[in-house]
Amino acid sequence: MKRTAVFPSLIRDIRKYWAIFRTQLVNSLAYPLDLLSRSFSMVLFMWIFAQLWRTTYSASGQESIAGLSLNDTLWYLMMAETIILSKPRISTQVAEAVKDGSIAYNLNKPYNFILYHFSVSFGDSLLRLVPNALIGSLVVWRLAGPPPATRGWPLVFVAVLAALAIDFCINAMIGMLAFITEEIRAFEWIYAKFILILGGVLIPLDFFPEWLKTAALSLPFAYTTYGPARLFIDPDWDRFVTLISRQGAWLLVCGGILALIYRKGTSQLAINGG
Amino acid sequence: MLAIEVQKLRKVFQTKQKAAGLKGSLRALARPDIKSVEAVRDISFEMQNGELLGLIGPNGAGKSTTIKMLTGILHPTDGNALVLGKVPWKQRRDLAYKIGSVFGQRPQLWYHLPAIDTFLLFGKIYELDDAVTKNRIGFLSEAFEITHLLETPVRKLSLGQRMRCEVAASLLHKPELVLLDEPSIGLDVVAKQRIRDTIKQMNAHEGVGVVLTSHDAGDIEALCQRVIIINHGKIIYQDKISNLKRHYLTSKQVDVRFAEELTAPPTLPGTDVIKVGRYGMKLKFDTQNIPVAQVIATLAEAGNLVDVTISDPSLEEVIRTIYEEADKL
Repeated sequence: MKRTAVFPSLIRDIRKYWAIFRTQLVNSLAYPLDLLSRSFSMVLFMWIFAQLWRTTYSASGQESIAGLSLNDTLWYLMMAETIILSKPRISTQVAEAVKDGSIAYNLNKPYNFILYHFSVSFGDSLLRLVPNALIGSLVVWRLAGPPPATRGWPLVFVAVLAALAIDFCINAMIGMLAFITEEIRAFEWIYAKFILILGGVLIPLDFFPEWLKTAALSLPFAYTTYGPARLFIDPDWDRFVTLISRQGAWLLVCGGILALIYRKGTSQLAINGG
Repeated sequence: MLAIEVQKLRKVFQTKQKAAGLKGSLRALARPDIKSVEAVRDISFEMQNGELLGLIGPNGAGKSTTIKMLTGILHPTDGNALVLGKVPWKQRRDLAYKIGSVFGQRPQLWYHLPAIDTFLLFGKIYELDDAVTKNRIGFLSEAFEITHLLETPVRKLSLGQRMRCEVAASLLHKPELVLLDEPSIGLDVVAKQRIRDTIKQMNAHEGVGVVLTSHDAGDIEALCQRVIIINHGKIIYQDKISNLKRHYLTSKQVDVRFAEELTAPPTLPGTDVIKVGRYGMKLKFDTQNIPVAQVIATLAEAGNLVDVTISDPSLEEVIRTIYEEADKL
């Protein structure tokens, strides 16, 4: 069969993964009500956070804690929650594909298995990001006032994409543990808790004791949620450059480990059901 | 030219064993019992370009494992294979452009989307020009009679409709070889026949080679020129379908009806009487022991024959005989 010869291989690959990304976007739109109703959980979460932190600030008798006002904190949590709720359960999808044998279909097509799932994951995430951010913003605006700054939004968007990419790598690694352990729920649970605490989803890392904040910032979890959320409330070019370079470094580390696990896993693959 | 060349291919899986109950679980935790299962044992065979080859065997025989090694999904434990001149597990991505595959129990179409979306995506994945993809979709939709189904979400298609779309999707990039693993599983007789007809048509028109695995002998009989029978991971028979029939189809079954009631059924040495009724009888015999003509002549002497049916054993029966012979070895 004649293939397109005019495009160099990189462009061809980009077209391929772009098509997978777009198909996933369309796929996610198959059930728009489900998509929208899931985003409404933002209303509940943000309302609870507002009650909790209003009480905390009032009890402390201070306008700001660790440099963050109540308004900053709630907008920070809105961004962190938006990222968390927009992540697809890629580890479960990869693990299921390994366990039920449907990985066979992913492996016998002319694409990279990891980049295929990366494209699917991004297609899914981006579609969830928009309603999550929109609904979350409306609630926080109503409860705490306007966002602290809007000028850094394009930078935040880039940081969010990098955060999703790191999260994808970690989640895919967990999913691929199914090659060895078959069951991965325990690892998913541990990762979710790390994100919640060390990623600063429950409490901004700024409120942590200094040693714990330093420890958290030396781990990848902080760059999947805390980094972009903090940039959102305090956009600054230097902060952005620091964040994106650390995200880039973690992406290289996590991507490298993922590629190794994938290579090892596929060479030892045993597909259930023959 | 050879499409597939397999030499002493072997696959051993390691599986964890666990005794029943809590005690068994705890023991398995402390000292896991790993058992080696030899799914494919030193199989060797060849396949010509454009050939229709059937791979038949009971569940767990090693058919699917063989197919998965030939597509490069599984790495073999030992042995060599060349598929269209490539080592599948080393050149999987290159090979993927040249082969198509359908794994009957694992859908490749996007479940919530209409089949046309998956077809268009596959066009991009296989790096086809958009115009080529559209022409190809048009051609396959007509060949597989799925034009009216293309815009229906896959989840709303019947199994037969979905399988026609699955096979059409596997042919979108005009592969030189398709590997169909149980494409007719779960289908009714009509749907099975439609799938068989279209596969035959694609083989005749496009010269695409087909490796078909099935545990339904009817699929192989209707489609394939040559058959390989696998049992317990070993090839126990490989030859042309016609030779298989000639070699094993030596028994006949005769079903006769008489005009008048039978007073005394005829005695026919060398035959097994299956059933005797008031107006007819059914018997089975080996043509090497007694010729068909002699059986018919004896029956004709016994009464006024109004109907005679002579039938061969089904391929399934033949295969059962081969399995039994192989198990005795």
